[in-house]
Amino acid sequence: MSTATEVQMLNVQIDGVWLQFPKGTRVIEACKQAAKFIPHYCYHEKLTSPGNCRMCLVEMGMPKMTPDRKPVIGADGKPEIGWIPRPQISCAQDVAEGMGIRTSSPMVEECRKGVMEFLLINHPLDCPICDQAGECKLQEYSVEVGQGESRFLDHKVKKPKNVELGPRVTLDAERCILCTRCIRFMKEVAKDDCIGIVERGSYNSIACHPDKPLVSNYSLNTVDICPVGALTSTDFRFKMRVWFLKEAKTIDVNCGTGANITIGSRENVIYRITPRDNDDVNGCWLPDSHRLNFKYVGDERRLKAPMVKGEPVEWRTAIAIAAEMLKAHSTASTALIASARATNEELWLTRRLIDELEIDKQHDVIPRIGEPDGMLVAADRNPNTTGAKLLDLCTNRPGYRLKKIADGVRNGSIKALVCLGEDATKAGLTEDDLKKLDALIVMDILPNKTTAHATVLLPASAWCEKRGSMINVKGRLQRLNKAVNAPGQARDDWEILRDLIQAVSGSNGLYLIEDVFKQMAAKVKEFANLSLSKIGDLGVQLLDEKKEEEAAK
Amino acid sequence: MFFHIPAELLAQIDEAITHYPVSRRSASLPLLHLWQEHFGFISDESIKWIAAKLELEPIHILELVTFYPMFRRVPAGKRHIRVCRTLSCQLAGSYALRDAVAQAAGIDLTKWQEDSAHHANPEHGNPVAVSADGKYSVEFVECLASCGSAPVAMVDDLFKENIDINEAASLLKLEKSDATLPKVLPPHARERRLVFKNIDVAGYTNDLACYLKHGGYAELKKALTMTPDAIVNEVKTSGLRGRGGAGFPCGVKWSFIKRGGPKPTYLICNADESEPGTFKDRYIVHQDPHQLIEGMVISCFAVDAKLAYIYIRGEFPEGARIVEKALAEARAKGFLGKNILGSGFDCEIYVHRGAGAYICGEETGLIESLEGKRAYPRIKPPYFPAVLGLYMCPTIVNNVETLCDVKHIIAMGGAEFAKIGKPNNTGTRILCVSGDVVKPGYYEVEVGSLTMGELIYDVCGGLKEGRTLKAVIPGGSSAKVLKAGETYKVKDKTLTLEDIPMDFDTIAACGSMAGSGGVIVMDDSRGMVECLNNINEFYAHESCGQCTPCREGALWMKKITERILDGGGTERDPDMLVKIGDNIAGKTICAFGEACSWPTQSFVAKFRDEFTAKSTKESPPPMPPEYTSEELIANEKIESIPAPRGNGHEVMAPAATR
Repeated sequence: MSTATEVQMLNVQIDGVWLQFPKGTRVIEACKQAAKFIPHYCYHEKLTSPGNCRMCLVEMGMPKMTPDRKPVIGADGKPEIGWIPRPQISCAQDVAEGMGIRTSSPMVEECRKGVMEFLLINHPLDCPICDQAGECKLQEYSVEVGQGESRFLDHKVKKPKNVELGPRVTLDAERCILCTRCIRFMKEVAKDDCIGIVERGSYNSIACHPDKPLVSNYSLNTVDICPVGALTSTDFRFKMRVWFLKEAKTIDVNCGTGANITIGSRENVIYRITPRDNDDVNGCWLPDSHRLNFKYVGDERRLKAPMVKGEPVEWRTAIAIAAEMLKAHSTASTALIASARATNEELWLTRRLIDELEIDKQHDVIPRIGEPDGMLVAADRNPNTTGAKLLDLCTNRPGYRLKKIADGVRNGSIKALVCLGEDATKAGLTEDDLKKLDALIVMDILPNKTTAHATVLLPASAWCEKRGSMINVKGRLQRLNKAVNAPGQARDDWEILRDLIQAVSGSNGLYLIEDVFKQMAAKVKEFANLSLSKIGDLGVQLLDEKKEEEAAK
Repeated sequence: MFFHIPAELLAQIDEAITHYPVSRRSASLPLLHLWQEHFGFISDESIKWIAAKLELEPIHILELVTFYPMFRRVPAGKRHIRVCRTLSCQLAGSYALRDAVAQAAGIDLTKWQEDSAHHANPEHGNPVAVSADGKYSVEFVECLASCGSAPVAMVDDLFKENIDINEAASLLKLEKSDATLPKVLPPHARERRLVFKNIDVAGYTNDLACYLKHGGYAELKKALTMTPDAIVNEVKTSGLRGRGGAGFPCGVKWSFIKRGGPKPTYLICNADESEPGTFKDRYIVHQDPHQLIEGMVISCFAVDAKLAYIYIRGEFPEGARIVEKALAEARAKGFLGKNILGSGFDCEIYVHRGAGAYICGEETGLIESLEGKRAYPRIKPPYFPAVLGLYMCPTIVNNVETLCDVKHIIAMGGAEFAKIGKPNNTGTRILCVSGDVVKPGYYEVEVGSLTMGELIYDVCGGLKEGRTLKAVIPGGSSAKVLKAGETYKVKDKTLTLEDIPMDFDTIAACGSMAGSGGVIVMDDSRGMVECLNNINEFYAHESCGQCTPCREGALWMKKITERILDGGGTERDPDMLVKIGDNIAGKTICAFGEACSWPTQSFVAKFRDEFTAKSTKESPPPMPPEYTSEELIANEKIESIPAPRGNGHEVMAPAATR
């Protein structure tokens, strides 16, 4: 397929090998593509290049020219390169036709050694207690290109330490290498130009004005992009050595954006959540509000055992009683509240349960709408409203039927209510209303006003304790992965639903979550030819992005 | 609000903002100056007020106040005395002068030093020492650009030169400035006065009437009858090379500008004269501002710039006022403003004051500063001023002397100008000689018409009695030092130091540079470690801190030379100094990297014996613990207070190193 504007390909020699790159490629990126990684600090592909760290110095050259401006051709038929005597930074220039780059000459190695030494002379070298240790670019490049000995005999420059730059970010200015990534991020991406550099020369230090601290909901991204331990997350600080963290690639569930994230956990405890690169969703950024909202997962009050009328029972008993209760009620006197925070697989099984119970138009999800921030926080605070619509758990107006359900419970026409991951008191019902029910089957993770009145209570898994898929507001299908185990006897939601369906209508042959997806893919055309593994780490565009965006408005 | 802003100040502030039609942020420095002049210092509240006034974040103003040394966040004395610390003044006794001023003013420098010792970085404490009664304060500042009349000081806005240390007390009562005081010295026979024709001439004043009487603005009239292309061609033909330090051909620079593009073109006069050893622009600015204005208007016409700025160093407050007055005079007579002399060409020029940062002499740092930011030089590529300069528009930055030369090129024609001097080294140069010569000062000569020996021995009267030549820095303190007795192979000839002609190319061929024309002479009484340490202190103070090598390396080199001076030099220090220099030079965004490493590299290479003689310790003297264990136990929240080095750290040059 040819595009209207064909991108020009340029010939570039990298470490003696001629390669082709599209016009507009940064030298540092071209080298990376050629598997010649160039160490760097200040350069960040999503930000402007200030060229200040001087770590990415390389040798650069342009074709030698004859007096009539034609390139001189060497014996090998390739242009001869006239090398610039001074090293050049590779982060700020685009490749040019006939350009030569040397990424590992003696000169380049000397430059890197020199810069590394300069960066460390006034650095506190407090790696043993530094949160960045293990993922610090100073450490990495020290090993790779630095020198083993310290030649600095004098007093180090002292700078402010343990500075609260904002409510969530702590600064250690002595560790700072003044790459200005944080400053540029706040100015260029977060559009809140609140960090600057004060003092001068070797005493330079990043700072916020005391009246204008770093309060942005994106402040923790500065911690992510800080290549050293200068900016640390106040929440994560001194909590865990990063090399002990087990990383799980999953997605955020705090809104319909579905930002890609990595969960860091150790021994079943989540310590931090960081953004994961996905240019189709969140770039490499994540709102603070989202990344810090995980503490409830480890809450002591988590539901850990299935209960019937407040008494702990075995799972099989709970499922059997729930099924009996549902079968005992007519389809007209049964209603179901599902959740747009559930995975597609759970919603598919919920849909099947609705069909088995022949509940007709007495089911819905609870909508959550907030102010969008124009960046990554979507108006829809449910992560899978798109999936809920697609799988017919709600109409195009999520929550439209909730009033009918509430009225039914209130006037006694509905006697059995199933709440899957939602608190019915958030759907227009009161606790008194719930007391009128003959059967209240509740599946959830934490106690709430609805679980208090549950006849059957089924403890389920939080989003980070299970696998599955969701569709974001732009119609992108993405995958959740398990980071930690659910507490006590709590089970994966899809398994609970499978058992319930089985108890209501007999064997269904689902043993793995992959089977659920397969079944769903066979019935719902949008999922055709897909499987959980095919979704991959970055997701797939399932629905028309523009249409979904329009529908969301 | 803890302050009352008088209507007059508010009017000045609003007027200053109008000088920057493109960006209010550019008015940051002018507003800070106005504020400090009125209130004496920049309070935290004022930072917020100014930020709000300019529609900026408060951090943007805080960044500036902490970057530019002239701004204070705490009050100084009612009379504030700035004593120049830098090399030529140190050679003339500025350390003793500072101490004498302090003594006369009742300022306890010992106590001030002790207070600084409690600062996290003792060498980086409050630079201002105030007397107990608050009447006086004294501050060591970097180069005040009058090296030829060292030692010099500023008392508030008044400038005083050739200060007799025994008369230091009289500074406290200074009423009259020396800034415009004509010395009325006849030119030396070897001189050829072009740009300095009217400098220090009896009866010549800096007003328009006097300028016109001497034929002023005739060249502007002539230029306006020419096409801009013709002017550019004349300047190209003249072979004029920039007088700021880099020596780039001026006409070539101008021809990078594509006239009539979609973006406006700006012209900036770099009057931020700040390379130690250089003091030529000060005389033009103070004594002959109309010459500069005429040169600028002609240059603006040539490159089609309708708005120009004169970025004048903050330490020339009188100069700024003089130029502003001259601009008003020129405006009133139609030499500036709308439809200049009926030609249809509009051009406006404003004065923009710096605030004590050397790095603003670097053209892209200057542009950033003019945009109201910290003067961080820009990366080139892509930010070549001729393409992406001020406000990302094509911009020409020229030195004061260069712009003055333009006037003379128009007067005599480019070809005639090119006959002055030598091929590729055309015109005159104003050589600024300071240090250990009998007659320091400026000398305008044809480029290359003098040798170093002739300059020192004939023109400047030689060295002081009984002294012999030891070293010369030929082009401002960043130029590599030349050692007496050295010989240089230039083409097929062997030259001694005295044989070197004062042009661009031969000095470069001898391994140094003509730079800004500042010649600093050192005689055999001078310790080279002391001299280098003075220079290192200057560059460590002036590094903007943007690039890693210069930010960290400049201060490191200063720490080493200071330690050597204090008796703590180790055997490997001389080599270490050179290695640090090697790791800075050529690896930074701007030429400051070279500027700060060349002195170290050349001093150590050429005077190695002096460095090794003082660097004899096998290992460094033990570093005292930053705090004792008792201190740590007693105070959990202990401040970082590095103790001074003990053991083997006898102070050899007390005044020179603190």
